[in-house]
Amino acid sequence: MDPDIALWLMVIILAVVIPILVALLKGVLKAASSIPPRIDAIAGVAAAASKDLDAVVVLLTTQNYISQITGSVLNYGGSLNVALPDY
Amino acid sequence: MKIQVAIIILEVVLIILALAVYLVATIVQLFKINAGLNVVLPAVGEIVAKTAPVNGVLDAINKNLVTARDALEGLHVKKAGADAAGLVESLFPGEGANFLRRVGRSGKVVNVGTVYTRGVGILASLGRGAPIGAAHTKGPAVRDPKYSTTAASMLYPRPGGARARPKSPVVGRESAHSPYEAALTPGERPRDPTGHPVAPGPTPSTAPHIDVQKQPEPGPPAPAEPPPPAPGRITSAKGTRPWER
Repeated sequence: MDPDIALWLMVIILAVVIPILVALLKGVLKAASSIPPRIDAIAGVAAAASKDLDAVVVLLTTQNYISQITGSVLNYGGSLNVALPDY
Repeated sequence: MKIQVAIIILEVVLIILALAVYLVATIVQLFKINAGLNVVLPAVGEIVAKTAPVNGVLDAINKNLVTARDALEGLHVKKAGADAAGLVESLFPGEGANFLRRVGRSGKVVNVGTVYTRGVGILASLGRGAPIGAAHTKGPAVRDPKYSTTAASMLYPRPGGARARPKSPVVGRESAHSPYEAALTPGERPRDPTGHPVAPGPTPSTAPHIDVQKQPEPGPPAPAEPPPPAPGRITSAKGTRPWER
């Protein structure tokens, strides 16, 4: 092959590769740039969710109340068992 | 130097520049992402730490509720018997089959509410002879849809017929249960109808005393009363009034 033709062929190939490479890099940068705002939003939501979950401690009180209510219901059922005749 | 070589060198330089610019920008964005994640991760860790005991607490609550539900359902089965699922179905449509499955029974759920009025079901559950058991569950409805009240009352044996109504209850037959206070001066009126106090007089006798042994003295015969009119005949009162005599 003539060396001149080989050089011109390389020039053409590089000329084609450059815009493709730029487009790909631009896409990667665009994708990377879109991540930080969403992370900031997630950070705000996570902080709010963590603050909302402070009320989870009240579940322990609810558990205690449920236990007491269950005992009362069972006592009430025992009274009904005595008061009402069987089928 | 040939022109081709110069162009190639220029293109390579352009490629390196593009790589440098875009990769540096990408690296900057990745650093921002890293910083953002450093902010998010502690908050997520707090969420995980705060929600860690929820499972145990909810399991304990569910366990208590299931215990109470099982006990009440067992009591319901014990008291209502075969109609238990039908009662549940009448109050919560579609729940009768689930109730049967939970209590370990099987069979067709008959909605009691479509067979009996609600009051009849309640009275039956309270022990008035359980008329729900008067008919088979697979048989026709006991309740007459047109005369439902009469049909329901006929389920109970009642002296005097189905239409007989019980007498009103007597309240206060005993003095201890009387709603009125006992009079301090029975038979006496301390005030006249106009509200003025009445002077106390001699105590009247409560009843005329009749001496049985003493015979009345014979006296002149009393004038004979006019004979009563003949029955069935309407007589005029004209001329018999006092102001007409």
